[in-house]
Amino acid sequence: MTLLTDALLAAAGAFIILSVVIVYRIVRGPTMQDRVIAVNVVGTNTVVIIALFAAALDSPGVLDIALVYALLNFLMSIAISKFTVERGGVM
Amino acid sequence: MIDPVPVALLALVLACALATAVLRDVLAAIIAFAAYSLGIAMIWVLLEAPDVGLTEAAVGAGVTTILFLVTITKTVRPPSEAIFESLDPKGLLVAVLIAGVLASTLGALPPVGSAETPVAQSEVTDYYLDNAYEQTEVKNAVTAVLAAYRGFDTMGEAVVVFAAGVGLLVVLGREVFA
Repeated sequence: MTLLTDALLAAAGAFIILSVVIVYRIVRGPTMQDRVIAVNVVGTNTVVIIALFAAALDSPGVLDIALVYALLNFLMSIAISKFTVERGGVM
Repeated sequence: MIDPVPVALLALVLACALATAVLRDVLAAIIAFAAYSLGIAMIWVLLEAPDVGLTEAAVGAGVTTILFLVTITKTVRPPSEAIFESLDPKGLLVAVLIAGVLASTLGALPPVGSAETPVAQSEVTDYYLDNAYEQTEVKNAVTAVLAAYRGFDTMGEAVVVFAAGVGLLVVLGREVFA
């Protein structure tokens, strides 16, 4: 294991710990908007963490998953936001 | 030595799973479940199963959240302002027992990446690795096994999923995907 791999994994670990802290906001709320923003932040963190994993494990194919998440995270937040504004208007 | 990154990931997944279980508001539980799905996908990537991670991305984060949202449009919000659901001791006991029984089998699993497992030592595996490309001309050995060698099995699975979808549409009595 090289120093670079360690540094990349350490950065990914820092982002994961940040996500664990954000779970507090998901649980606590107090409003639904806080929770949507919180899960959006966790999703963005996920994209960064998976990209860091791709660099650390030296497997560029994993970057595709980060791309898919970048697209779907947006979709998920829009769906929940729309639901909180007009209940039932998901589609 | 315990690797800190998987431990942090498991802590994230566990926190999200607990939040999903105990949150009183259904919408908040769905949001916590979406976060749980994100954590699980990172674990798949770390275990070097990118295809499973990709499926988790598409199904767990995308489709499931929207399906749950569509489902709870038929429900009403509980009037109480409490954040957490009160836990039923009997249900909790059953859940902990089931988790305990499942956890007791963990010791029998081989370590990740072990060369001693039947899968790594079997002659069938060697046959697939040696002949998959010549016989099917599919570069990915897993895809070759799923789509060519076990083609009828995969078609059966597709039939089951299709039948479930048709049954659901009949029960609902309307065209959902129009």
